[in-house]
Amino acid sequence: MSATDSASRLAPPAARPAVGHLSLRHITKRFEGNGTIAVLDDVDIDVKSGEFVVVVGPSGCGKTTLLNIAAGMLAPDQGQVLLDGRPIDGPGPDRAVVFQDHGLFPWLNVSQNISFGLRMAGATRAQRDARVEEALRMVHLVGSARKLVHELSGGMRQRVAIARALVMDPAVLLMDEPFAALDAQNRTLLHQQLQELWLQTRKTILFVTHSVGEAVRLADRIIVMSAHPGRIRREIPVDLPHPRLLDSPAMNELVHLVRKEIEEEVNRVHAAQSAEDFWKPQTPAPVGDHTVGMGDGI
Amino acid sequence: MAYRLVGWPEYVFPAPGHVIRSLVEMMDVSVFTGGRPLLIGPAVSIARLIVGFAISIALGGILGLLIWRWEELDKLLGPLFLGLQTLPSVCWVPLAILTMGLNERGILFVLVMGSFFAIAIALRDGLRTIPPIYRQAGLMLGARGWRMYRYVLLPASLPAMVGALRQGFSFAWRSLMGGELFFTAVKHHGLGYLLHLGREDVNAARVVAVMVVMVAIGMAADRWAFGVLQQRVQARFGLG
Repeated sequence: MSATDSASRLAPPAARPAVGHLSLRHITKRFEGNGTIAVLDDVDIDVKSGEFVVVVGPSGCGKTTLLNIAAGMLAPDQGQVLLDGRPIDGPGPDRAVVFQDHGLFPWLNVSQNISFGLRMAGATRAQRDARVEEALRMVHLVGSARKLVHELSGGMRQRVAIARALVMDPAVLLMDEPFAALDAQNRTLLHQQLQELWLQTRKTILFVTHSVGEAVRLADRIIVMSAHPGRIRREIPVDLPHPRLLDSPAMNELVHLVRKEIEEEVNRVHAAQSAEDFWKPQTPAPVGDHTVGMGDGI
Repeated sequence: MAYRLVGWPEYVFPAPGHVIRSLVEMMDVSVFTGGRPLLIGPAVSIARLIVGFAISIALGGILGLLIWRWEELDKLLGPLFLGLQTLPSVCWVPLAILTMGLNERGILFVLVMGSFFAIAIALRDGLRTIPPIYRQAGLMLGARGWRMYRYVLLPASLPAMVGALRQGFSFAWRSLMGGELFFTAVKHHGLGYLLHLGREDVNAARVVAVMVVMVAIGMAADRWAFGVLQQRVQARFGLG
């Protein structure tokens, strides 16, 4: 069986009505500390079924808080989260999360980790085995099925975490800086694999990152956040075809644009501490005077 | 060596040779205790330990879980438990004799009281160190209610639990030996009784010999039973 075949079985059948429309409506969240801090202020995001939306922003813009609210781990002070029109009720397998620190269970091996959600859902052993097999194939980890979590590299752990999420056939995949802790090579590899998986399954994905390059590489639509309080600063559609290659002029152009947005934002709030990360050039960004018909303006 | 230098008599400070001779003697049938003391004594003590430690694990496990789960309860009982942990276990002996009588139940009482606080406290502390991400991942994957406990929190707390058991065991063994030293009128005679008997007979070599056996059993259990268990769990979790 090829990878594509196995992927299509995990994907929702075409006959099923489109699922995975995630609406974050007027989300406001405050944290009590030394005075009340508005982490999110009236944030409105609509992720359409099958869309890949990436939220970028400087540290402190509340992007992880936003994802936790979408996951149901945190309740917003105001606003609500709707999945296909229905308000969500706490965390659940319909909104699978890939955490930055993978969150795999160290007492289980790779395939037991992947089948955990199915076990909780009451799937039979035979059903579980078949699905886990497919999921392992999708993330190219068939040979590591019996390995323990601590025996895996960082990149492999995140692939297991992705498989664990996908095997539940979630309506939405929520990803919280999943590749931030990886080295550059692994990150590039996982970008490529995630794109492949997304093209095969067409899951709705809400992805949070501080890496502009990552956002441009993966997103259908980039949402740039501002900090203190966290608001949507700008939305930038990305019309480049998938899968995307590194360092195409069009991508560089877009990286430059997004980075400029964030730089301005950082300057605005004088967040000197977080500014450093964004001023470091990720790719040499030679912006020629050629214009590419995407990204600019909304 | 020491006794020869200072000139202490053998019954005050025995040489290693005397201790070994005592060990061999106690392997033989004794008229005082009936049977072979060094076979019967440890057997009786270990049987008591198994029963008492099981009760201790059950009690300490439940209590540890409760004070971990409900903070108000912890505020109420936590300091009390810590305080009671500092109480040497033989201090439970008088109360045990008064409430339970000079019998097996009294000995078990001393053992349980001497060890289950330690288990409860160690378990609570261990459960507190479970990274919150396991809980979040469990919720996200649909582990709700009892399933969260059975399939996420229980296995996640394994390293802590093995640590709690290991500590609980050493408390239990010490309490039992102390208890047996005082409960000399019960029907079956454990290692603590042999220690008592050695003193009665003014036989320091035998006293030291019994102490050697106590240490040997305690160390063997700690090293080979709990140590190995802990190593396995840590290897599984990739710790250490």
